[in-house]
Amino acid sequence: MHISEGVLSAPVLVGGGMLAFAGTGVGLRKMDYDKVPEVAVFASAFFVASLIHVPLGPSSVHLVLNGVMGLVLGWAAFPAILIALLLQAVLFQFGGLTTLGVNTVTMGVPAIVCYWLFHKAALKASPSLSTFATFLCGAGGVFFGAVLVALALVTTGEAFLPAAKLIVLAHMPVMVIEGIITTICVRFIKRVKPEILEVAHGRSF
Amino acid sequence: MEGAFSSYCCSRQCQFLASMILLIVFVIVASPSTAVAHRVYVYAWVEGNKVYTESYFSSGDRVRKGLIQVYSPDGKKLVEGRTNDKGEFSFAIPQRTDLRIVLNAAMGHKGEYVLKAEELGGGTSKKTEKTISEKVAKKETMKVNVPSTGVSEEKIRIIVEKALDARLKPIARSIALLREEKGPGVTEVVGGIGYIIGLMGVVLYVKGRKKAR
Repeated sequence: MHISEGVLSAPVLVGGGMLAFAGTGVGLRKMDYDKVPEVAVFASAFFVASLIHVPLGPSSVHLVLNGVMGLVLGWAAFPAILIALLLQAVLFQFGGLTTLGVNTVTMGVPAIVCYWLFHKAALKASPSLSTFATFLCGAGGVFFGAVLVALALVTTGEAFLPAAKLIVLAHMPVMVIEGIITTICVRFIKRVKPEILEVAHGRSF
Repeated sequence: MEGAFSSYCCSRQCQFLASMILLIVFVIVASPSTAVAHRVYVYAWVEGNKVYTESYFSSGDRVRKGLIQVYSPDGKKLVEGRTNDKGEFSFAIPQRTDLRIVLNAAMGHKGEYVLKAEELGGGTSKKTEKTISEKVAKKETMKVNVPSTGVSEEKIRIIVEKALDARLKPIARSIALLREEKGPGVTEVVGGIGYIIGLMGVVLYVKGRKKAR
């Protein structure tokens, strides 16, 4: 879901850049000393996830992992995504430097929306509800990302509903896979090191 | 007390970090075929009077129904069309200048390829090529009774050009393929993770100094 260079107009790029800057600022301020390594791990995971290609569906799509990043990192997901996207743009030529801001927003905002929507249910509720919420969190990250990409493309003259439908449909398989990965990941963290989820959230919010 | 706690915490976190990175590296190494992602490529080559293009994602999948637009150097749109199921699209050479071939594969994916004027060849239009082949055919039938002194310089040039064209076609195509960069390799991936770890160090340093103060 990287938007390439030369697709969007200047005002959209500048607006995206400003939003990304603000989000990154908030994320950096809310990031604890003890949380920095986790942020780095998830930035690495996000950076590499774009290489894991899902061969299902009509188009070529890859893992995003922004849902699970939001759930575990909260606002700190923003700087992590910015850094990972910057490195993807420089090293892989995915996306681009001018579209860095817009891409950070389309991936970072869903991470935070997912955090707000699902973290309570995912962490505190009964096991079955928690699993369900975690799954929705992983799938939701991709879903909201697709909607935001469609929204950004509207400014280029594409109609919103068809574009959104196309992108969401293309990412259906990824949504399911991300939901499953998020569930497994959160379960693993809960069993091995539950402080990551609880302590971190207690402090940063 | 505080120091002991944080160093304990840090070592646990370092363990976690190390295991996660090992996991990531394992995923990459274990699945080399998945080392692909989301970028589109378009490349083009010339055969006779036609320009052939092929479009694919960095995963190797062909771009189906991708929009191809061809622009002149001054930005005028010359040709527009959509790729077929194999990601191919071909068109007659519209003019003998540099051609900028832009692929728009929807969902914000865009790629382009510039075909230089020199690659478009010396400019044999369809009509002249036809007359050339007629001339060549005539010449071949005449060869039997006409001595070689009758072959004009022009005819030799045309024959050589045709033969060269046929020989060079596959080479031109593979050069076009080579000119396109390949997807990211292990170097880029490991390098990127290295950058992230380095940045982590910087952030930890800055935050640690703040904490100490």
